[in-house]
Amino acid sequence: MTYKITESGNISTIFLSGEIDMDVSEKAKEFIMPIIEQGKEVHLNLKDVEYMDSSGISILIESHQKANELGNRVVLKEISKSVLKVIMMAKLEQILILE
Amino acid sequence: MRIFEKKDFPANSRSLKDIREFSRLVISGSTLLEANKDELVLAIGEAAQNIVKHAYEDRQDTADTMLIQISFIDKKLEIGFFDKGKPIIKENIKHRSLDDVKPGGLGTYFIKQIMDEVVFKDAKGWNNNLVLTKKY
Repeated sequence: MTYKITESGNISTIFLSGEIDMDVSEKAKEFIMPIIEQGKEVHLNLKDVEYMDSSGISILIESHQKANELGNRVVLKEISKSVLKVIMMAKLEQILILE
Repeated sequence: MRIFEKKDFPANSRSLKDIREFSRLVISGSTLLEANKDELVLAIGEAAQNIVKHAYEDRQDTADTMLIQISFIDKKLEIGFFDKGKPIIKENIKHRSLDDVKPGGLGTYFIKQIMDEVVFKDAKGWNNNLVLTKKY
């Protein structure tokens, strides 16, 4: 997994790429959660995420819930087909914010 | 079409990527399996992750390996996982309710959604033997 972060006003866009599994999920949380805690709106661009398992889905849920708690939001952008399948299997398409 | 492949992997989280690569390679040997490759790789990845997380409590220093065996014979896919980690208590294996949205507890749910049957068997010389099957 690799990532790139861009800033525009109060929005931080995190471009994730590669495979997100248990082995990298803690690392992903380490850079995603502090941005949410800073009170920024976070856009997670998932265009180049080729694989995501339940550990990755846990990060999406945790990020979404933390942002909600702080009165903010996490928006999932350009979700790859394989990630969308997993989100839908978990029936999270009505809970997470997908654009 | 007959497939039978097996391979050992270190029983830690760093192996998960290699396990997926092995799975993709084996699955690509059949056009029937190839049609739902993403789902099958997810099921295999989740089962391997459960071994690392629960049987080995995510210890990176273990010298143990887990054996993964994939067969596709007479349109029946069977994926076996063998490990020598902490014996699993079958009654404790359950996924969370999808309505109770919180991080965690989805791996087993994904496996059950994708495969027809998920059972633990006894295998001589191993502490746990999980077998996933799906008919085509």
